[in-house]
Amino acid sequence: MEERKTPAVESTAESELPLDRQVRLMSPTRMVVRRFFRSKLSLVGLAMVVGLFLFSFVGPLLYTQWGEIQLDESGKTEYAVSETTYTVDGVEYTVRQTTEKSLKDNFLAPPSAEHILGTDNEGYDIFVRLMYGGRISLTVSFIAVFVITVLGVLLGGVAGYFGGWVDNLIMRVCDVLICLPGVPILLIISTLLDASDIDAKYRIYLLMIYLTLFSWPGTARLVRGQILSLREQEYMVAAEAMGYSTSRKIFKHLVPNVMPQLIVQMTLSLGSMILYEATLSYLNLGVKAPYAAWGTMINIISTNQDILQNHLNVWVPAGICIVIAVLGFNFVGDGLRDALDPKARR
Amino acid sequence: MLKYIVKRLALAVVILLGVSLIIYFLIRLMPVDFIQDKINAINQGGATVTEETVQAMYAMYGLGDNSFGGILKGYFTWLGALARFDLGTSFVYGIPVSQVIVEHMGVSFAVALIATIFEFMLAIPLGITAATHQYSLRDYLVTVLVMIGISLPSFFFGQMLKDVLALKLGWFPPSGLVDATASYTGLALLGDYVRHMFIPILTIVILSVGARMRMTRTNMLEVLNSDYIRTARAKGLKESVVINKHAFRNTLIPLVTSLAGLLPTLFSGAIITEQVFDLPGIGNIALDAMNRGDIPFIMGYNMFLALLSVIGVLLADLMYAVVDPRVKLE
Repeated sequence: MEERKTPAVESTAESELPLDRQVRLMSPTRMVVRRFFRSKLSLVGLAMVVGLFLFSFVGPLLYTQWGEIQLDESGKTEYAVSETTYTVDGVEYTVRQTTEKSLKDNFLAPPSAEHILGTDNEGYDIFVRLMYGGRISLTVSFIAVFVITVLGVLLGGVAGYFGGWVDNLIMRVCDVLICLPGVPILLIISTLLDASDIDAKYRIYLLMIYLTLFSWPGTARLVRGQILSLREQEYMVAAEAMGYSTSRKIFKHLVPNVMPQLIVQMTLSLGSMILYEATLSYLNLGVKAPYAAWGTMINIISTNQDILQNHLNVWVPAGICIVIAVLGFNFVGDGLRDALDPKARR
Repeated sequence: MLKYIVKRLALAVVILLGVSLIIYFLIRLMPVDFIQDKINAINQGGATVTEETVQAMYAMYGLGDNSFGGILKGYFTWLGALARFDLGTSFVYGIPVSQVIVEHMGVSFAVALIATIFEFMLAIPLGITAATHQYSLRDYLVTVLVMIGISLPSFFFGQMLKDVLALKLGWFPPSGLVDATASYTGLALLGDYVRHMFIPILTIVILSVGARMRMTRTNMLEVLNSDYIRTARAKGLKESVVINKHAFRNTLIPLVTSLAGLLPTLFSGAIITEQVFDLPGIGNIALDAMNRGDIPFIMGYNMFLALLSVIGVLLADLMYAVVDPRVKLE
């Protein structure tokens, strides 16, 4: 158990060494970091997240054999066998006919040296598309969480600090937004986007921005709750006595004290945003073909039973990537929550 | 208490108005010629959308009149229709939206209810063992397993279960609600329903058990650290009595409260799970409606869900006050 060591005054007089050499001072931040790294789960989570980041952002720079929307046009020969059975005078004859068909694209290739995870039903390299899909998922989730946090801190901070009718108004808006159904509302918004011809590449960004407009109330409530309790503390009275400006009081004195909870919330919502993005892409509302996203890569199996059953290499890796990303962020978030908890005994 | 209930009810009405305003705003954003395109597409797809239905929808939402007064009038006409539970006529089905919702709600409700029961039956014991054995191997194992459950995307996990349990092993039918080739009646039909619903329910339970288990664990830890538990132990009570009688009851408070918040999930349908297993539930219908441009249905469905959420929040507030006598009503 660590506590901040408060050096005793008498001890300095007795020994020659200066005070800071005798006691190991530990800032609260360092204690948090130490507690975080002591937990194995948070380390595993961190490794997963960092690994995925490197895979998605550095991977395509190192592995340049194939591009995101580069078809493998090396060709493929498909054999179709058809059997016809005739019964002549009680004896069965089976005629087997094999047709050879040459196709332009090398689709559904099994994993090989050429294609680490094989190719999908169009002839794109799956391994490379996993990397590009990761870029989209991670970027979109980070943007969404950033916007949610900014909106939540601003509105929650204002509501908590000023109270009164401002608080009432903002909190009622939160109540309303929380009652809106998540995915179904996105179905409407997606229809709206269809109506306004958005480039397939930017669609998911727009959709996620809309999502943030409905998702900030959670953060706002958290910030408001914290600020309501912090507002009554002595140091705020002191800040008042010093004549600080309102914005300085809110953003320099109150918000930093909300940071611990906020960081935890942000990490955990990164996981849920990745799930959201994947779900939207799976429903074919988000990133659309030919661009890659983890959800889009799984989408194919909802219509193609053959791939679902016989070509696991097409869709399982993308699912595993989603699980690793979400699980990683959840582990890190949990580890942070335990590390930041002042009541924690370990 | 009465005053509290009245206040909450008034708040619920305000929230409902706000929600309806947003949903109405969303439909106003839809260009009229886009709606016409969608109608044409539906007509080509086999179903017939009568001119009457279309005009009724335009009249109901007050579309076409974009002046401020027109928008205002449209909103109140729509609100009046809502108050009479009139959600318009579905383009694809040609019958009132409310009727489509009622028809398909049963399947979703059955799946959600059974899944919720299993979820609680699993989550509570798991949460309690994890809390009573905090930081032990058992705690870590349970926590990691349920965390994996939380992190699984429903479409991926559902498809995986379908691939393995239904298609590869052939233990369960892969999709639908009834076996189309056989005509069952009575108990056999019920058995067929159960076989078809098994994997969807399993998927939902595995994905949702985590959140509830972690909630139980946190509550239990909090209760175990309280003074009266120390007193109970100091009295020399058996550990099993302390846990099962003294601690467990107080752990239930937040769980019971959260029960009220479950109301929307019971009726709203699991969109993704129903899509994966092709169950004719309300979520799957909504997704299909979206793809086919059945605008009255999507709007009605959203309003229906919002209404459920508002009632859920209201019930949760009331439940909280009823279950926990320490909560002071203001």
